[in-house]
Amino acid sequence: MTHLPPDRLPVPLPPDSGLAPLPPDGPQATPGDAAKLPRTEREASWHRLHPLSPLVRAGRHLVTIGTLVLVLFFANRKGTGSDLVVNLILVALVLAGGAVSWLVTRWQVADGVLRIETGLVRRQSLRFPLSQVQAIDVVQTGLARVLGLAELRLRMAGADSSGGRLASLPLADAEQLRRRLLSMARAPGAVAAGGPAVTAGGPAVTAGGPVAPPGTEGASGQADDDGADGDGAADDAQERLLFRVRPGRLAAAIIMSRTGAIAAIVIAAMATAVALTGQPGVVASFLPFGLGIVLAVWRQFNGEYGTVVAAAADGLRLRSGLVQTTAETIRPGRVQAVRLVEPLVWRAFGWCRLEVDVAGPRQRRENRSESQRLRALIPVGSRADAAQMIGELLRAQPVPSQRAPRSARWKAPLTYHFLAWGSDDRYVVASRGRVCRKTTWVPLEKVQSVRWVQGPVQRRLGLASVRLDVAGKRVTASIGDREAAEAHEILRRLPGLASNARKRAQPA
Amino acid sequence: MTRAERPGHNTPAPGAPLADPGSSARPDETSVRWQRPSPLLLRARRIQAGLVTGPIALLAGLLLGTGLGLGAAGVVAERFLARRVAAWGYAERNDDLMVRRGVLIRRESVIPYGRMQFIDVTAGPVERSLGLATLRMHTAAAASDARIPGLERAAAGKLRDNLAALGEAQATGL
Repeated sequence: MTHLPPDRLPVPLPPDSGLAPLPPDGPQATPGDAAKLPRTEREASWHRLHPLSPLVRAGRHLVTIGTLVLVLFFANRKGTGSDLVVNLILVALVLAGGAVSWLVTRWQVADGVLRIETGLVRRQSLRFPLSQVQAIDVVQTGLARVLGLAELRLRMAGADSSGGRLASLPLADAEQLRRRLLSMARAPGAVAAGGPAVTAGGPAVTAGGPVAPPGTEGASGQADDDGADGDGAADDAQERLLFRVRPGRLAAAIIMSRTGAIAAIVIAAMATAVALTGQPGVVASFLPFGLGIVLAVWRQFNGEYGTVVAAAADGLRLRSGLVQTTAETIRPGRVQAVRLVEPLVWRAFGWCRLEVDVAGPRQRRENRSESQRLRALIPVGSRADAAQMIGELLRAQPVPSQRAPRSARWKAPLTYHFLAWGSDDRYVVASRGRVCRKTTWVPLEKVQSVRWVQGPVQRRLGLASVRLDVAGKRVTASIGDREAAEAHEILRRLPGLASNARKRAQPA
Repeated sequence: MTRAERPGHNTPAPGAPLADPGSSARPDETSVRWQRPSPLLLRARRIQAGLVTGPIALLAGLLLGTGLGLGAAGVVAERFLARRVAAWGYAERNDDLMVRRGVLIRRESVIPYGRMQFIDVTAGPVERSLGLATLRMHTAAAASDARIPGLERAAAGKLRDNLAALGEAQATGL
């Protein structure tokens, strides 16, 4: 990201002006370079976001602002009304700010790089090399869906940068762009060679059927089925449906999850308080708690409702969401870890949750709670669903067969039950947890570092753990509490195995 | 950790391979040629600990008698510091770097050269005054921790260049 010196603040160009665009080599290139660039190519021209995008972006805050204005309005109703004017001016300023940010934001796809320029005072020029893209999401908030807009999110590997965001584009354009970017990401050489690759993206667009958000039940089902048994005329539209979550089961599962348990506790506490004091007013003191819980439950339900996973040529396609819909494509070979989570209560029903970890930013500011959990391919499903999906994700599926030694019982009396690991020449799998059993598969070629850890209790018992770090958000495969000699052996052997796996994966 | 492992001031020169006394507890002792940070690291740690514990010891001393407080703090700190400093070690192997550390919780990391994203060399005021630096390697995984404190500055620079070259030669994608 580059900051332009203030004297070079470019005056935003009207979208279709014939003026030369900023030279793609960034601010340090002189305007003279621009003249040499071919301006006729479609992908090299600068594009703007949709004019309504500031409204969508403010959507989240619009409710807040509206409430604030209303509160202020009612608070000084007896006033002269000048306060209201001030408030309205404030709102107008916020909207004007949005409009300005729209004016100064533009994007371009050229030479396998997505470039976004934004900012009026703090000018930013962002470059996203498409060959480094981990995944591309299409996100629609509720308001955006009403307006037919969508946001495109690029997920890069960096742990701290927030990745590229194009908010907002018309939905069809966003889908088309996502497909184009993904095809470029797959074949960066072809894109660098010239325009034909991009113009060839044209026919695929017309065939791009299955983009309907899963919230619109009938339509989405139709589209997905079409995709599933598509005749292969357009490879982009060809999808194989792998999993679809059942709404009823999802609701039941959330109620029986930790969030649900907390909600139950809060409700019980409220009821008890009311019963003890006899005053319904006590509920008001629980309101912040209650709101938080309701929001958490809602967010999870909203995020995971209607999850559909399908395999396509460009990777696994994930669509989910009730009000805010997300369409995500995970490129093949970008999965850093697969985790199977089986909470105690769910186990009774034979349910489980399957999550994947993809390298990317650790936390996104606006939806922190969402990014703290991993992306669930299966929010809740049967073991058969999970087994099928794991088979799809991993080429081999070693089982955690090697139990921990008996002495580990003293160190981890509860966890011991599920403490095990296993491996083959491609994957390492480790499982742990008593209440919530977690089984993690890590591809050896993705291992970033191997750690051998021995705490004081473990030393006394002659145990040690080995941890495998991957570039994901927070998944670490932990081969817990092995006998010290075995742990040594693992630490001695694993780097070599990982290096072999890397070499094997490299040419592909 | 046994008594024999307690380091004296006769710590071998940095860079010199040494047979670790506590070999039975560590993996792979026989084949790995461990290298140690500079012996000056102990002095750096003493100064750092002194800067932190000094004021606390003084405060405690006001209640118990200054000498006693300072003495107790010194003894405790010295014992911990010496063992912790002695626990650091690193080994450059063919394909990866091994770093070990820790007394109470012992850790040993293996970082393949190809996985290093970047390397930085930092030196705080205390370290700088003694001509030391800390080398830190970053991989794409946030959890991997690999740092080597107390390298002499020239050695740190050399190691950094060395690692960077190796990393470039063996670099792999995510």
